[in-house]
Amino acid sequence: MARLISFFEATGSLFAILLLWYLATRYGTLSEFLLPSPASVLARIADDTASGDLPTSLLLTLRTAGLGFAIAALAGTTLGIAMARIRLVHWFFDPLISLGFPMPKIAFLPVFLLWLGPTAASQITIVAVSAIFPVVVAAFSGAEGVEKTQLWSARSLGASRHGLLWQIVLPAITPQLFTGLQIALPVALVTTIVAEMLTGSDGIGGIMLGAMRFADSAGVFAYIIVIAIAGTLVFRGMERLRARLLRWHPEQSH
Amino acid sequence: MSQIVFDAVRHGYRTKGRAEMVALSDVNLTVEQGEFVSLLGPSGCGKSTLLYLLGGFVPLQSGRILMEGKPVTGPGPDRGVVFQNFALFPWKTVRQNIAYGLERQGLTAQARTERVQQFIDMVQLRGFEDSFPSQLSGGMRQRVAIARTLAVDPRVLLMDEPFGALDAQTREIMHEELLAIMRRTPMTTIFVTHDVREAVYLSDRVAVMSSRPGRIKEVVTIDLGPRTGPDIMKSAKFNEYVEYLWSQVKTDAVKAMQ
Repeated sequence: MARLISFFEATGSLFAILLLWYLATRYGTLSEFLLPSPASVLARIADDTASGDLPTSLLLTLRTAGLGFAIAALAGTTLGIAMARIRLVHWFFDPLISLGFPMPKIAFLPVFLLWLGPTAASQITIVAVSAIFPVVVAAFSGAEGVEKTQLWSARSLGASRHGLLWQIVLPAITPQLFTGLQIALPVALVTTIVAEMLTGSDGIGGIMLGAMRFADSAGVFAYIIVIAIAGTLVFRGMERLRARLLRWHPEQSH
Repeated sequence: MSQIVFDAVRHGYRTKGRAEMVALSDVNLTVEQGEFVSLLGPSGCGKSTLLYLLGGFVPLQSGRILMEGKPVTGPGPDRGVVFQNFALFPWKTVRQNIAYGLERQGLTAQARTERVQQFIDMVQLRGFEDSFPSQLSGGMRQRVAIARTLAVDPRVLLMDEPFGALDAQTREIMHEELLAIMRRTPMTTIFVTHDVREAVYLSDRVAVMSSRPGRIKEVVTIDLGPRTGPDIMKSAKFNEYVEYLWSQVKTDAVKAMQ
């Protein structure tokens, strides 16, 4: 019972919106074209799931976002740590990161399309480029903040210079790194959808744009709901992973 | 042969656009096997820098530092270090922290487990083996750090204001524990502190340092016999040492505040 109450406490506003939506389509003057009813949107989700179209495009979208995000996470962590530890790397990349961080990276999509064509590769590239910035910044500031006495202790306990990176620096920066990754993840999803819309992919973004062109409102709304749910689930998974890996961190004591 | 030799050690810091700040100037000191020597002085006298040079964490600029006859070239397990901020690995449990150095030595898993347990018992942390440092009090954290350092069996122990971050009561308890450890496993120790009473209570010799530039002003031998308990702090002799050393430190402490 208590769990049920806390569930409604946390999600009550969503149900209120759903109710409003239902009432607006049931008793309002909005046409099915402007705002399709919840029932027809749900029916559409069920139909497209049964036909296999929806799972296929969802998987395609998640694959693009996932690959781009993974590249951003790996390359961003490496670059951030390298910037904190190697002066030349810092000198070269610091201005680029400052310049690129606030810039709308999606502006580079035409460039990648010119170079790579309307392929998965160009989509993954733009996703990685968009998502890498918060990761680099987080890894860099984390690695800069590693206490030197921790590094010294490890060395005097017999760690090699090389061992410090894996044994001390990487675990020490995990809290900051996760903050960066949790910013990068939604960025990766947003960029994937936009790139799919602009390149005419079979992913969620492309399908939505196609539905719009055919004035298929139910289709547009169906895919909005699907991507919202998928995004929430992925983000929740990330939070779980963070809580698991950072059991030792005082912030995680809840 | 002395176990540790500082010979004409000089160290300066350069900051952009400013004249060089001389932290240490012509420091000479020898420490014998088994001695407990404190470096006593106000903040900024370079006592920690001297310890970091011996630890091999900061490269030597001029002079010589010998550890058992060999020049110090970098950090190594022969010189165990305990820092004021504990410097534990917060993502590792108590057990894993203490095991870290032993893993680097390539001990078998069983030998490692036994040795870790032995040192957990030594610092009285039984029952906290699987706690993370963030779940421990300051005194317990420093006990983990001491156990982690001693577990790899260093030749000398370097302590950088190890009890400076603890409250007065915990500090006194830690003094007794450190003395007890030293009675069981005597070890050459260099102990950095700005606390005069602490220095007198723990040390065989106290090297008084003065600041700007840091150098050793005087080395005082503390002849109080074996430390049998805190009662010794009530003796006239103890308080004479404290008063004398305090008068030596005071002029520099005042200077350092200006």
